[in-house]
Amino acid sequence: MNIDISQLTKTYKGGVHALDGLTLHIPTGMYGLLGSNGAGKTTLMRILTGLLKPTSGTVRIGGHDITTPDGRLAVQRALGYLPQDLGVYPELTARQFLDYVALLKGLDSRQERRRRIAELLEVVSLTDAADRKVKGFSGGMLRRVGIAQALLADPRLLVVDEPTTGLDPEERIRFRTLLSQLAGDRTVLLSTHILDDVAQTCRRLAVMAKGRLVFHGDIGHLVSYADRRVWTVTTTGPAPAVGKVVSALPEGPAMRYRVVSATPPAAGAQPVAPTLEDGYLALMEAGASRP
Amino acid sequence: MIATLRYEFLMQVRRPVMWIVYALTVAVLLATGPGFSTLSLGGSDARDAKTAMVLLAPIMMTLMPIVYGCMLADRLVRDRRLGVDAVLDTTPADRTGRLVGKYLGACAATAVPFLAAYFARALVYVVAEGRPSALGWAVAVFVTTVVPGLLFTGALALAGPLLMPPMLFRVLFVVYWFCFVVIPPSVLPSPSYSIISPEGDYMRYGLYREGLAEGEVYRPSTAYAALDETGYFNFLRPDATPATALLWAALMLALALALLALVRLHAARTES
Repeated sequence: MNIDISQLTKTYKGGVHALDGLTLHIPTGMYGLLGSNGAGKTTLMRILTGLLKPTSGTVRIGGHDITTPDGRLAVQRALGYLPQDLGVYPELTARQFLDYVALLKGLDSRQERRRRIAELLEVVSLTDAADRKVKGFSGGMLRRVGIAQALLADPRLLVVDEPTTGLDPEERIRFRTLLSQLAGDRTVLLSTHILDDVAQTCRRLAVMAKGRLVFHGDIGHLVSYADRRVWTVTTTGPAPAVGKVVSALPEGPAMRYRVVSATPPAAGAQPVAPTLEDGYLALMEAGASRP
Repeated sequence: MIATLRYEFLMQVRRPVMWIVYALTVAVLLATGPGFSTLSLGGSDARDAKTAMVLLAPIMMTLMPIVYGCMLADRLVRDRRLGVDAVLDTTPADRTGRLVGKYLGACAATAVPFLAAYFARALVYVVAEGRPSALGWAVAVFVTTVVPGLLFTGALALAGPLLMPPMLFRVLFVVYWFCFVVIPPSVLPSPSYSIISPEGDYMRYGLYREGLAEGEVYRPSTAYAALDETGYFNFLRPDATPATALLWAALMLALALALLALVRLHAARTES
């Protein structure tokens, strides 16, 4: 299910430009969406899911125009959505909540619904807690309920906003593997702050800043933004003042700093191979240095 | 719609605070209202099952709808407060259908304790008087005299908190109920006891002819004339007849539908 976004803008009341002329093609498969807070990722996702109407521009998903009622309905029939701040009804059990959402998604056959819910509860490791009220659930468990509800109707388009927030490392790995497996003939749009999740699951991604698209392409291409710009500096003195410190690791009495910088950040700095995180930071630094 | 109705009913009917507040209200009725606690239900003709059941309706419609309205006040706005709306609004389910389902499910669940108190009292009468026909009258009176008022009140309680915080709405709703429904216009000029007032007097007097002699017509516009010098709202107080009783029920339903249409319009406007 291809997504074609053209000249998309969203201006909220009060004149806040959340999206500013965004044009992007998202192909079938797993696709990452990166950006700092306020970049416009959530606004974009809310438009793609039909929750928000754009101020101008067009969005076609699988050929359907999301801004028309018919188009929105067609897209929502194929959609699974995990919002960033998922809410649940505290007085329902996990199974009841999923049953309710399944009914709204058109899973009318009781037998089929029960089978699908049981299957998904197993996938997200909630079978044992399925009949407990969700008001007693931890943040991670609620996240897993959210993941299960997004997968209920076997969606062809899966939009997930910060899906691994609150999950422990094992759950995170398991969930992103699941997303990758699902992505075969589906479109999975993954918005996250966790670069590692994108690095481990997506071949292609887009980066947004201040409502604009600042990058789209292969992971390798984004990583290459940091080519010859990543250094390690081992020192007992202060952290390098030049560039952006990515990490600091104690090494005996000294500290080893990893720095993204266009020039060597200190005498004795050693160049190292960049990662996605370095590429992202280099891109953001380049953007920040622009007027 | 059916899914929303079912789950809204389930969530509301399991709400402990609703049962507690209703129980306290029934306790107040028992303690303060001789009409509720005495066998005659405060009427002169205790042996007549129809009269007894018709008399039960206004007793119930004095305080119980306040609980009903207050308990419904958070139902619509809580989806956004809880953050469930993003998930529900991205399903292909029709939003109007979901609104109607929420309205009917929440209203039905909130009416369950009301219904229980009403029929428990009717049952006491049936057992004490040995008149099973009272149960039939209880059903007829509840459906015609109480339900239309509750349908309107339910829509008002769902719609009001879209304009203000639920707690403020509850306060204003209590004020509305006392000033515009319970307190007669002879005390406070208001549209109370009029054809747009949900307490059900038009059904009691127009359809069931409670306490009226043969050929006598109940005239709300003159019933309170002794002290109501203004008579501002008398144009809303036609004589109580079977026709005006049906008109009252139709108006309650129409007002409820109008409020729901406004809620849907409000939701459509806030979608962008």
